[in-house]
Amino acid sequence: MSRALNFLWAYGSSVTRLQSPDFRNSRLPVKRNPLILFFIAAIVAAMLFAGVRVARTNRANAPPKGQLMGQLAPDFELPALDGKNLKLSDLRGKAVLLNFWATYCGPCKIEMPWFVELQKEYGPQGFQIVGVAMDDASTEDIAKFAKEMGVNYPILLGKESVGQSYGGVSVLPTTFFLDRDGKLIAREFGLQSRSVFVDHIKKALSQGQAVQARK
Amino acid sequence: MEVLLTSALLLFSAWAWAQEDLGPQGPVVKMALAPVVTVVQGKPASVPLLFRVSSGYHINSNRPKSEFLIPTVLKVEATTDIVIGKTTYPEGQDMSFAFAPEEKLNVYTGDFKVDVLVRPLRSVQAGKYIVRGTLKYQACDNAACYPPKHLPVSFDVKIAKAPPTPRKNPAQSPHVHQ
Repeated sequence: MSRALNFLWAYGSSVTRLQSPDFRNSRLPVKRNPLILFFIAAIVAAMLFAGVRVARTNRANAPPKGQLMGQLAPDFELPALDGKNLKLSDLRGKAVLLNFWATYCGPCKIEMPWFVELQKEYGPQGFQIVGVAMDDASTEDIAKFAKEMGVNYPILLGKESVGQSYGGVSVLPTTFFLDRDGKLIAREFGLQSRSVFVDHIKKALSQGQAVQARK
Repeated sequence: MEVLLTSALLLFSAWAWAQEDLGPQGPVVKMALAPVVTVVQGKPASVPLLFRVSSGYHINSNRPKSEFLIPTVLKVEATTDIVIGKTTYPEGQDMSFAFAPEEKLNVYTGDFKVDVLVRPLRSVQAGKYIVRGTLKYQACDNAACYPPKHLPVSFDVKIAKAPPTPRKNPAQSPHVHQ
């Protein structure tokens, strides 16, 4: 901050001096134009805010750690609530919505009924939702929660290492979308509107070599 | 000078505004510096601990309404010289949020105070002692939740010597008053 202020101070001085015809030989005390200083500060403030906003947007749409967007989603194998293991790469050929959630997460609860509907609606087209519980709760509690929510898609018992492979899951819910080739095409942090999910699902269903092969 | 100050304020405001919009960059809950409580040997005293939840966030109270929610809990490490007694949590506020407008959650927002009862042993030496612990909390905002965190907590307890117990006057010899 002090650097920026020093810069503004110096710049304000130089602009004032440049306006003087004999600024090179001038030994007079430097005059600083307050209006110029204020104007520059306003521009810098606006740029600073805009920059952070853009950075935030980029972060939300940015590829996961390791620039994986457009690349194959990191594969993993995790136990599901039914006791069987599920390997992500076994779903190749389907569009996948990978939802990291937790039983303590209120916004996650809002999405789940939508996911139940979306699974019913788009499942026949080759769409699969996979929930990954990033929870300290017991398996019984997670199962109870999932039952209460009427979940009709597999719920896996998550591990920190899996979250890390996706760039770290520090916000819940975090949702990734994979096309039929298993490539990551989008991700969303926090609660989103249902239409956002629908758009990503449609995109995921329409992408991938499996789709091309069908055509 | 005024213009410079205004400019600085403008820059700082923009920076602060932008930071607020970026979500939690650090802990959502911070602890205020706890006052040094003076406690007499063998006597109990309550230590008030003040916490602040960052604006825009909430954490579950000590008694959330759902079994699936993670309560805010202060765990104080046991010490050999000071007995840690009951921890008293404030009542949470019943609030509903954009993600579940029809549901009321019992939460802490803004500032809240937790009282810890301490009682130094009679045998403990007078002086200043540090008591440590952690506050476990789980925060959310209007659209997302964050994994549970453990905030380190510490406070000083100054132990004072107990005043000497007044001795009963020994029975006086009747001969004295003769």
